Amino acid sequence: MGTHLVSMQGIRKTFGDVVALDNVDFHLEKGEIHGLLGGNGAGKTTLMNVLYGLYQPDAGKIYIRGQEVRIRSPRDALAHGIGMVHQHFLQVPPFTVVENIVLGTLPKLRATTHLEEEIGKIRALAERFGLEVDPLARVEDLPVGVRQRVEILKVLYRGVDILILDEPTTNLTPQEVDALFQSLRFMVDQGLSVVFITHKIREVMAVCDRVTVLRDGRNVFTVSLKETDEETLVRGMVGEQLDVATSFLFSGRREEARPRSFGPPRVEVEDFAVMGDDGTLAVDGCTFHVRAGEIFGLAGVAGNGQRELAEGLMGLRAVARGRAHVNGIPVQEGATREILNSGVAYIPEDRLEDGFLPRASVAHNLILGYHTRPPYRKGWFLDWRLVFQTAWDLIREYNIRTRGPHDIAANLSGGNIQRLMLARAFAHPMKVLIAHNPTRGLDIPSMEFVYRKLLEQRAQGVAILLISEDLDELLLLSDRLGAMYEGRILGILEHPPFDKYVIGRMMAGIPAETR
Amino acid sequence: MTTGVLSPTGRIRSWTRAVFPYVLAILVAFAVAGAFIGSMGFNVLRAYETILFTSFRTPYGFIQTLTKFVPLTLQALAFTVPLTAGKFNIGGEGQLIAGAIGASVVGILLAGLPGVLLLPLVLLGSVIAGALWAAIPGWLLYRFRISEVLTTVLMNFISFSLINYVATEMWPDPAAGHPTTVPIGKGGMLPNIIARPPLHMGFLLTILAVAFVYIYTTRSVGGYELVATGANPRAAHVYGIDVRKLSVLALVLGGALGGLSGGIEVAGVHHRLIEGLQSNYLALGILTGLIAKGNNLAVPFVAFFIAILEVGASALQRTMMIPGEMVIIVEALIVLFVLLSDVVKVGEGA
Repeated sequence: MGTHLVSMQGIRKTFGDVVALDNVDFHLEKGEIHGLLGGNGAGKTTLMNVLYGLYQPDAGKIYIRGQEVRIRSPRDALAHGIGMVHQHFLQVPPFTVVENIVLGTLPKLRATTHLEEEIGKIRALAERFGLEVDPLARVEDLPVGVRQRVEILKVLYRGVDILILDEPTTNLTPQEVDALFQSLRFMVDQGLSVVFITHKIREVMAVCDRVTVLRDGRNVFTVSLKETDEETLVRGMVGEQLDVATSFLFSGRREEARPRSFGPPRVEVEDFAVMGDDGTLAVDGCTFHVRAGEIFGLAGVAGNGQRELAEGLMGLRAVARGRAHVNGIPVQEGATREILNSGVAYIPEDRLEDGFLPRASVAHNLILGYHTRPPYRKGWFLDWRLVFQTAWDLIREYNIRTRGPHDIAANLSGGNIQRLMLARAFAHPMKVLIAHNPTRGLDIPSMEFVYRKLLEQRAQGVAILLISEDLDELLLLSDRLGAMYEGRILGILEHPPFDKYVIGRMMAGIPAETR
Repeated sequence: MTTGVLSPTGRIRSWTRAVFPYVLAILVAFAVAGAFIGSMGFNVLRAYETILFTSFRTPYGFIQTLTKFVPLTLQALAFTVPLTAGKFNIGGEGQLIAGAIGASVVGILLAGLPGVLLLPLVLLGSVIAGALWAAIPGWLLYRFRISEVLTTVLMNFISFSLINYVATEMWPDPAAGHPTTVPIGKGGMLPNIIARPPLHMGFLLTILAVAFVYIYTTRSVGGYELVATGANPRAAHVYGIDVRKLSVLALVLGGALGGLSGGIEVAGVHHRLIEGLQSNYLALGILTGLIAKGNNLAVPFVAFFIAILEVGASALQRTMMIPGEMVIIVEALIVLFVLLSDVVKVGEGA
């Protein structure tokens, strides 16, 4: 048997009743970038967490360089030369780059830390792998793309030669993605081997040598990129759950029916400013409008005021400056109910925190925000017969797996909670929809479903503000597209097709020179 | 990938899963308490027989149980109704005293009024006084965000001094050896629904209160908002519910129920204000609410069970010379094991 660098065989992992990995094989060769492709819940991250020692497999064997090993912790994994960069960075923002990188590696506590030597090492590493970064910069001052380089350097500094990257392009601008791919090439040329976890086929096509596709915790296939094409990968990823040929998500084609006519503006925002949680202006002078029958997309790296903007428009934050009208209602803190009742649907970014009632019933959840108006409200009481009827219909239509409207919502699984939140938003008539990352955490058929619902609503004349960190989603759906950076909208592209590099520059804080 | 639709057997299993911890908790609590009783040299089986069956052996015992049931249920609701909205009302005692004072003030000042007028006024006085007493922590929470846990408890202490003042300075009964007021007007006293042994109308009022709470929390728009707020205040706020106002409302509702329990003690049991009439109903009420896990509809059933134990406890003391505190230990152990069974369940799930 030829030795692979890493060989995982028959890996099984269950969480309670859920089988996350079922007899999965995975082989990594030296000097390759190996894509690990699959939708949400396919088991990609779980598989790599097993390799990194975060989870213990229920069954299966792991060989590294031909030796069978047991990896009990990330410390073991590092000792075997395996490092992992997670989607969420583990960094201390006020520390410098070098401090973050050496954190936890210095052998003993000293009264003073002399880091000159380490700085030199880090500079050498950065140069060797094309990961340009200033070791003395403070991490909190760095853009996301650079912080990611810090995270990669952190594992390289620990001497690994097997690098696992979990969805590394999340929150990067297109330019930063290009730079990342370049340095990945550099790294494998220098003898590293990379596992690249992603749900984006385009990224696999762009950078990987081989790819392993997972679906529902099982192997679908492993192929060399030379021997495959996008269509095969799509089918591997989604299986029979989705008719790929008629899919909007994979058609790559935009609707033909453009240019279309739009109605009057339903959301009007002028020099709008909103305070953030830290007492500084998180939204600092936004001006835009959304017309009936259009999708206005808003791109941006997370944390540039998108959340505060959405909450400000829903009357959940004090308006610090400027004006906004949503569906004709003047926006101010406390106007939430008035705004909702005028026919505004809201899909908050953090659906568990901001939209979910775990200790109430499924039916309670389905009418939250709609409970003070007809048809549900009858005087002092709620028309529970109607609520339950509607709830049954929605449970069926949105394929929510539950015992019924009575069931305590906390019993639902993550995907079902998502569908519950979507059902609530889409099932009721609306004139304006404010949706923040509506497809985050969804599997592919559900994403397709959301896209179709958004297009359906647009066709019915709903004004849709789509705030998203998924640039591909915005490029696919938007009629007009803006980008947010540090609380401001740096530019709005008025017509598709949109140039993603122009958007990328704005996401990085460089205003569009021309419109 | 997930559980899917549950089969009938699955439904039965989940129902058993809900009841099983209670049965187990009660059994274990009795076993542990039995060890105590046995080690003190008493006959364990006879002690249990006394605790569990005194209520059913004589009509008197049964009526006594129903009479205990009234303040227990109302005090438990005073705790669980605010809990529905996620607020902790530990001030049922103060609200009971405020309600008792409210009832007495009305009952003494308007003693001459006929029953048709005076009785509703006495009860209304207690409800309003209890509600106002709880409105103070409510306002402090709304205006200054001071934790209601703290303020409701502190309001209890104020009520002790207040009842003392009313009973010794305003309308003291010089004949009584204990701070007590003169009786309220005859018309303000609750009529009996059963003559002998006497059961006053407070029992019916309690059943009405339970029905009101149940219908309000499960059917009405306001009740929906209470539940939503208790389930996730942030999400409730995001979807247009004024969570802060609702927290005040929840405390005031709890206070009104606590006040009513005081009104019934005055109008139905003592017919006057007596210092100490709050007994240990606060602790028992919270205990009841905890065993019911905050479920308003479960409260009267748990309260009935606790009332049986309480009546058994006094019999225990009378007939076997076993300290009645033994029963409090049993009750506390039940709470402990019921809550523990939750922890165990959570532990399994993780």
